[in-house]
Amino acid sequence: MPYFRITLMRSGIGLPEKTQGVLKALGLRKRMTTVYHPVTSSVAGQIMRIKELVDVKEVGTALNKKQMREARRPAPGYYVERRGTAELEPPQ
Amino acid sequence: MALLGQTLRRGLFETRPTLPPTFLLPFRAGLTTISYSLETGNVPEPLIQSGHRISADLKEKIQSPPQFPKGTLPPAPSAAKPTHHAREDQVSRQLTPNIRQLLPLLHSQSAHYLTIHIHGRPYLVTQGDTVRLPFLMPDAKPGDILRLNRVTHIGSRDYTLKAPEAEKGTRDHGKRVFYLDERLFVCRAAVVGIESEPMRVMEKTKRRQRHVKHVKSILKYTVLRISEVEVKSLEEYEKEFAKN
Repeated sequence: MPYFRITLMRSGIGLPEKTQGVLKALGLRKRMTTVYHPVTSSVAGQIMRIKELVDVKEVGTALNKKQMREARRPAPGYYVERRGTAELEPPQ
Repeated sequence: MALLGQTLRRGLFETRPTLPPTFLLPFRAGLTTISYSLETGNVPEPLIQSGHRISADLKEKIQSPPQFPKGTLPPAPSAAKPTHHAREDQVSRQLTPNIRQLLPLLHSQSAHYLTIHIHGRPYLVTQGDTVRLPFLMPDAKPGDILRLNRVTHIGSRDYTLKAPEAEKGTRDHGKRVFYLDERLFVCRAAVVGIESEPMRVMEKTKRRQRHVKHVKSILKYTVLRISEVEVKSLEEYEKEFAKN
């Protein structure tokens, strides 16, 4: 199912209440917040109301907040080769 | 008398040789557009390498035409992004002609440094360094040996092997970070211990409120000691390709 990936690029501070209401309905709290909504005519209409503030892309799957955070996580850069307690274990 | 002295001095110290006739002068002008600054492009190669002794055997090896063993040049793997806009960590897997030519030189110098990346943050280390990380590694206890595998620079006195610069994420793709091949080096660190900062006490209170809450903080930091920094030679590196 296709989704809209919506990122708030410009803040809604100082804009009319109705416009800020649209941002709230979409879940766009702060600048650079990214939300996923299914591609429907109603969501498309909401986007049209705030099209100047927002960057939209169509993608195949939706991600939740945890998945988005994991996607940004860098590789740890290390792995534990040998434990300090390995010497205490009896030889097998 | 003073005037005479001056003219004598002028005669002794000022040499004004008479120029030969124009047709005998050289054609080149005295002006030059060559820059004499010490930028890398300006300094000729023999001067850059002048501090480094290269043995005759090594020179021969470098100048020999490249012969790539079987399986040395796998096609560049197109990393299948698990999620769109995800950060991509591309670890090199190729033996380029540049590495083939210069790795022997890098390996021949005795002391090496690495720029390791732990959780994406770079640390420039060499053997015997103590690194106090700005965080606590929850899974690494004192006495454990860590193997570090994300490196962007391997350098010695005269040579540096660098991975390409990271590309900023855009609307269409996530951040792309490039690392050097893990098989080029071996870097081990021992977890020496855990340090803590001096205790900090933060007072939290409100106006017209007598009660003051005291919140104490003591953050812990992991300390590593880089026990081993080794750069593989070209033969060893090529053997790794044969293994896979």
